[in-house]
Amino acid sequence: MAERGKTSLVRTVCPAHCGIDACGILAHVNGDRVVKVEPADFPDPKHKRICLRGLSSLDITYHPDRLKYPMRRRGERGEGKFERISWGEALDTIAERFKGLADRYGWRSIGWTLGGPGAGTTKFGAYLRLASLTQSTRVSAWGYGDSALPCGSRALFGAQFPYQFLMGKFLTGKVKPEMVVVWGSNPAESQPLNMMRRIMDAKERGAHVVVIDPRFTVTASKADQYLGVRPGTDAALALGMINVIFREGLQDDGFIQRHTVGPYLGRTDTGEYVRGRDIGAEGSEEYVIWDGASDSPRVCSDVGITPLMSGTHTVKGLTCKPALQLLMDLAQEYPPERTAEITGVRTHIITRLAQRIGTANSVTFVTNMGFTRTYHGDISLRALGTVAALTGNVTATFSGGYLPAVLNWRPFLHADPDRPSYSRLGILQLYDAVISDKPYPIKAVWFSFINFLNQCAHSTKIANEIFTKLDLIVAAELFMTPTARYADILLPACSYLEFSDLIPFPYPYVQLQQKVIEPLYESRSDVDIASGLAGRLGLGEYFDKGEEGFIDLILDSGDPSMEGITRERLREGPMRLRLIPDMDQQLDIPFSTPSRKIEFYCERLREVGQALPVYLEPLEAPLKPEGKKYPLTFIQGHSRFRTHSMFANVPSLLELNPEPVVEINPRDAAERDISDNDLVTVFNDRGKTTLRTRVMEGVRPRVVNITEGWWIGQFKEGSVNHLTHDVINPVQETLYEPNMHMNDVAVEVVKADNQDSPQRPRYHLPELPQYHLPELRGRRGRR
Amino acid sequence: MKKRLGLVIDQERCLGCEACTVACKIENATKEHWIRVETQNAAQKDTPEGRFPDLKMSFLPRLCNHCAQPPCVDACPLEALGKREDGPVVLDQQRCDGCQACMEVCPYDAIRYNNHEEKAEKCNLCIHRIDKGLEPFCVICCEGQAMHFGDLNDNTSAVSRILDTRETFQLNPEAGTEPSLYYCSPKPPRGL
Repeated sequence: MAERGKTSLVRTVCPAHCGIDACGILAHVNGDRVVKVEPADFPDPKHKRICLRGLSSLDITYHPDRLKYPMRRRGERGEGKFERISWGEALDTIAERFKGLADRYGWRSIGWTLGGPGAGTTKFGAYLRLASLTQSTRVSAWGYGDSALPCGSRALFGAQFPYQFLMGKFLTGKVKPEMVVVWGSNPAESQPLNMMRRIMDAKERGAHVVVIDPRFTVTASKADQYLGVRPGTDAALALGMINVIFREGLQDDGFIQRHTVGPYLGRTDTGEYVRGRDIGAEGSEEYVIWDGASDSPRVCSDVGITPLMSGTHTVKGLTCKPALQLLMDLAQEYPPERTAEITGVRTHIITRLAQRIGTANSVTFVTNMGFTRTYHGDISLRALGTVAALTGNVTATFSGGYLPAVLNWRPFLHADPDRPSYSRLGILQLYDAVISDKPYPIKAVWFSFINFLNQCAHSTKIANEIFTKLDLIVAAELFMTPTARYADILLPACSYLEFSDLIPFPYPYVQLQQKVIEPLYESRSDVDIASGLAGRLGLGEYFDKGEEGFIDLILDSGDPSMEGITRERLREGPMRLRLIPDMDQQLDIPFSTPSRKIEFYCERLREVGQALPVYLEPLEAPLKPEGKKYPLTFIQGHSRFRTHSMFANVPSLLELNPEPVVEINPRDAAERDISDNDLVTVFNDRGKTTLRTRVMEGVRPRVVNITEGWWIGQFKEGSVNHLTHDVINPVQETLYEPNMHMNDVAVEVVKADNQDSPQRPRYHLPELPQYHLPELRGRRGRR
Repeated sequence: MKKRLGLVIDQERCLGCEACTVACKIENATKEHWIRVETQNAAQKDTPEGRFPDLKMSFLPRLCNHCAQPPCVDACPLEALGKREDGPVVLDQQRCDGCQACMEVCPYDAIRYNNHEEKAEKCNLCIHRIDKGLEPFCVICCEGQAMHFGDLNDNTSAVSRILDTRETFQLNPEAGTEPSLYYCSPKPPRGL
């Protein structure tokens, strides 16, 4: 630490859960205080960046509302009454209670509910190690809006993420696309943030930019063409485009034949692929192709085949079609006129966009989770990926790349290879596990990096049915968040300037988040917290080297991507992960799907009628609103002023964006006699929230938007998640993990009865948010 | 030739994110926002003009224009405002008594009044940084890489190159203040 009066500089990282970004930060330290943060240098200056949240991060570290010491609940859960206790007492209590519950219900009944750790590794890894060693339950937070994209990506590409296939070469600067299609994503304000500079660079070089979104976002304002699609109808839009692509013969047959299941024959009766054994090759599971030259079926490994990708064929009495023909049959049902009716996008725009994508040399599809937060969001992603694959715009050829091996949690999990690891539940599956013991009971929940009550679906259910039934709630937090109020034991955690971590971002770099100051008050890093508990559970030996030891664990893991990366060099700046393989090497990636190809026809989904990327109506979003009780579709965009619910309590950002508003189109507002800045109540059968309006054209008619992340208590009443539902899509459960459908919610809006609460002038600094109980009905806390 | 330090802001790349606003306030420890990002032709921030889906939206960061003929300097009875040789128009708060004469004559509404200290305040083009060879803090924090700083009189500078190759405009040229702040307009959408 620097001597007082003299400023020293420490390079660290802002790991604020912005996805594939993690801005390098140069912290100016004066004495024991960080006085300023600024963007740190990068070898590639495109990565030298900071955002308004990163700039405001000192307001989090030095926020007067920081939790300062461990506390125990005194009043009812959620009442917000706590008493100060020591760390020893807090950890002793937790350890004792955990052991008691484990004796009675098994360790599985303890659920580590870990949210977005940001870009951090060791703080997440420490809890995973603890969960793994105790064989308790890891509650994954993917299902908080982020699991439908992996569901779709796994089905189509056989990979957790579609990014490398859709935009990998764009990100590494290896392609200069003629078009950039941003689909259901707003990188100008949300992740992937570091994509926006590249999009604007591409546009400067002449690329056409297209944005598909129900909201006219900042990203949309940079587009050459904006498509204001109806939420939840993206698969129909894709099928309409595929219709045009086939009709005009714009598909890339060579790519389809080589990299997709297009030529493989599928049975029209069962929906299964025809296998070698079906054509007489004993025991062969090989896929079968119709050979045009011999006019006969052949197993796909045969040489000299002229694959036919269209028509109907008969194989040993079975009627079958190549998968591409099955897709063509489906797309046939979506001519642009019908697609326009479903999606609300004009006919000629659909046609023209399909033509442009079909004829452009290179198209990059930029996408993310937003548009997959509808009931069938996994299919939306598959449909988008299918458009890319049909037009040869999937990066299926690997010409050198970096393996971000540090994302691999294995070094943490295999602390003791003789023990089995944790059980896993998705966060939506936690609801039933607590409420009805299915698939098994969860009795205690530990929350880290998550504001569960605020951010997860159906918050009244969480408050009334989950929080009332749990035997123990522990939260490690920086602030008295709406969730923290319900904790039995509340532990003060560090802000990013107070601990070290290894950050494997931004791709392809790895950075060291260096501790800049000692933990403030009695706060502790998550690694320290986990270590303290581990000691009390007899597992201290696996945690004895602290954060630094865990960083070394990754650096010394022996993974080839980490070769040459040392802590000493990381202190000075970011290092590139090792390139594997060499740049000049060209090889096809075998996709990790069952067929090793891009599977726009996914056999295992045939029984649920979703083998193809079919368009299925959203669950709630009312496509035909007339006469409906809840005629408006409620969606939750992301705000540049927050990262989820982080930064919602930061004064410097509240100055610029003081309170939640519901964005409503003037036509919908007029029908309801609502004016700009009125107080209105947004409601459905599950709950309501009251807030001001922003009447604006930038949101699609029949759609209302409230940006997510505002805290319960910052609304006049309720919150966004008083409106959302926790319905599980069972298909997503089989593919990966069920998702919360934040953008598939029906509501109505009425003017609030009481309009006379004082109107806030714009740019006025409001008082810091007060905490209020969410509206609770019925049962009170059991314990 | 004498230096003429100034800024070029490219509206095509401006994301309206207000990182400049926040950065400036932190760097200069100000009470008021010296940079305000305006959403053009909109009733309020972050809302587009037009009718859905035929919309457009662009952002205009507004700050001191560091005019060659600064009316604020002439208006200040206490010589708290001055024009430096190399361009920046600088307000010395020590000398300011809060009479607000400068605010009345500024065509850009770029001077703020600090109620707390009863003094005027405004952008000084980060002279504490540029005198050390650094760029203004807003420029290095610009998310969209839309802000460019340099010597407008140096033909080889990045800002001059933009002025030479792009169509640029100044705010209120009719006021005759000769601003050192130029803007590039957003490019109109090309359709499909």
